[in-house]
Amino acid sequence: MSDRSELISTGKPFSFDKKRDAAFEQLSKRYPTRESLILPALWLTQEQEGWVCQEAIAYIADRIGTFASKVYEAATFYTMYHLRPTGRYHICVCRTLSCWLRGKQEIVDYLRNELSLTPGMVSEDGRYSLEEVECLGHCGSAPVVQLNGEFHEDMDVEKLKALLASLQ
Amino acid sequence: MADMVKLFVNGVEVEVEAGKNLIDAIGAVGIEIPHLCYHPALGADGNCRMCLVGIEDGRPPLVPACKTPAMAGMKVLLDAEHIRKIQRDVMELELINHPTDCPVCDQAGECRLQDYYMSYDRRQSRMTVPQVVKGKKMAFGCGVVHDQERCVLCGRCVRFCRQITKTGELGIINRSDDARVNIFPGRPLHNRYALNVVDLCPVGAMTSADFRFQQRVWFLKKSPGVCHGCARGCSITVDHNREKEQEARIYRLRPRHNPLVNGYFICDSGRMSYKAEEEGRLNEARHGRLARSVDQALLAVAEDLAQGGKITFILSPDSSLEQMVTIRALAEKLGATLSGFSDGWIIPGDGDDFLIRDDKAANRAGLELLGIDCSRTGFTAAVEAADLVVNCNNDLGRSLSAEELGQLFQSRRLISFASHRREIDNQAEIVIPVASWSEYAGSVINCQGILQHFPRAVVRNQPPMELVELIARLGSPLQSEADCWQELARLPGLPADPATIPTEGLQLNDNEAAHDQP
Repeated sequence: MSDRSELISTGKPFSFDKKRDAAFEQLSKRYPTRESLILPALWLTQEQEGWVCQEAIAYIADRIGTFASKVYEAATFYTMYHLRPTGRYHICVCRTLSCWLRGKQEIVDYLRNELSLTPGMVSEDGRYSLEEVECLGHCGSAPVVQLNGEFHEDMDVEKLKALLASLQ
Repeated sequence: MADMVKLFVNGVEVEVEAGKNLIDAIGAVGIEIPHLCYHPALGADGNCRMCLVGIEDGRPPLVPACKTPAMAGMKVLLDAEHIRKIQRDVMELELINHPTDCPVCDQAGECRLQDYYMSYDRRQSRMTVPQVVKGKKMAFGCGVVHDQERCVLCGRCVRFCRQITKTGELGIINRSDDARVNIFPGRPLHNRYALNVVDLCPVGAMTSADFRFQQRVWFLKKSPGVCHGCARGCSITVDHNREKEQEARIYRLRPRHNPLVNGYFICDSGRMSYKAEEEGRLNEARHGRLARSVDQALLAVAEDLAQGGKITFILSPDSSLEQMVTIRALAEKLGATLSGFSDGWIIPGDGDDFLIRDDKAANRAGLELLGIDCSRTGFTAAVEAADLVVNCNNDLGRSLSAEELGQLFQSRRLISFASHRREIDNQAEIVIPVASWSEYAGSVINCQGILQHFPRAVVRNQPPMELVELIARLGSPLQSEADCWQELARLPGLPADPATIPTEGLQLNDNEAAHDQP
């Protein structure tokens, strides 16, 4: 995992669109405390914009009535939230113990050397983005790679090459 | 007294307070359980794992002492190889990414990580991988400077801002070895107690911009004191030192734990009030336009007092009880009137429901207890009727405008005993510098009616005369501290000897001041 503390400010005020606003209000009835809305609200933001900007975190905190630092904590803890726009294909490589021992570094090195991807960054053409993430919960079939949310297990460089070749 | 229970630590029976957690209960009898994240004011968090101990009653092999209440008959195991191994391992974990920059770290000398390394670790580092690089000297606001690399992620600062000030500026962001404390961009620390996170931080991650690089802590002399910033009278520690060939000076004030008054904390303005002890001080006695020695000026004052006529003494609500009672005795002897007028000390609406009070005077309750009139009408009448006014270190400029003061003292003789240079004293015929609160011993009563005694903290190279001594030399019937306390002991609830006042203070039940403003 890389440092995710740098937030991107769009300089524009953020708010939920009509659909997400209604969804948020609906969700707020479901939870016993308003702080439980932090994760769903981040999901709604990501659904709406594709990523989560600094303004959105402040908006969520104020909308829920909690500290911005708490939403900031949650948004930086969970790598499923994108704190910057992702590439067309967002690749997550698990870096936790089982995957590390089973060779995640070779996969990361391949992506780094062959595709010039840096964890946390988007490729110049906007096609790929790479993130090293904490445990994805598939330790039994390590190492695991997530491509746009889909799991690919027992990975190695050859399988990764084949996977990337199958993409449009 | 709380209920006591007997339990065993390493097979030795000890008697401890029931209900407390093991760190506090066993700590009270002098047995240390190392801990980083637990703080009595913030509760148990259980994240640092440094306080793991064994309980020999079939529980899991190790339990966190901070979350385990002391119970009768409990067999606590501290001194065992598997527990020492846990402590070493936790220390190793904390030190993996620690910069170990102790030689330039302000915390060195009062750092938990340093102390625990010496007590529980003392091994060479096995680390060969590069350390995680994080933020240095980050300005968090309110004079707090943060070093993310030194941080052990105990979360005390985060919990303080969420639980105590309820402002929540700080959070622990990221996860795993990239986790760090930060503020949300554009929302820095913004509360009146923020600098307490510097004290709370067990390591050198939180430092005070004001104290950074000023002094190594082991050079500081630590004197108990009472904050004179407001009527709360928080217990403090005055950290001061005289560097070679230099003037003695105060480097910082820190809260001193007092369960009756301030708990573990003080406000930021109280903490910074030491600056007023260093700056703007009056250093030289003056008679007319000429500089005089204090002795010469005192002789002139004595002559003026002996001339008779109507005299009014003005007392400061910051003065100690000893000063007040000495001045009162002199005034009674001379047939003079007294006024403690100090309306300007009260800033309505400035106080809060934690420590800060509207009234910025340290000992108004003392004035009231001694029956000294504080009203504006009483003050105006007394001054207007007087031929000679003696101002005993009351900063009248806080209560009255320069214009009002100018008119009042235009045709009246004024003598000033002052710790600081003040506008009003330009109109005084004789001015004599006196000691301020960090330079004398005394007693004050706070807004809750709690009497506290504090010793002299700082001794300057040329110590200004203390007000009690000065008034005694002008012929007050009370010539010594013992005389003062003989007089004070006539008041309800006051002891005859200040040495009998407990360190946390004495609750005076009969004091009406205990029921004043909320």
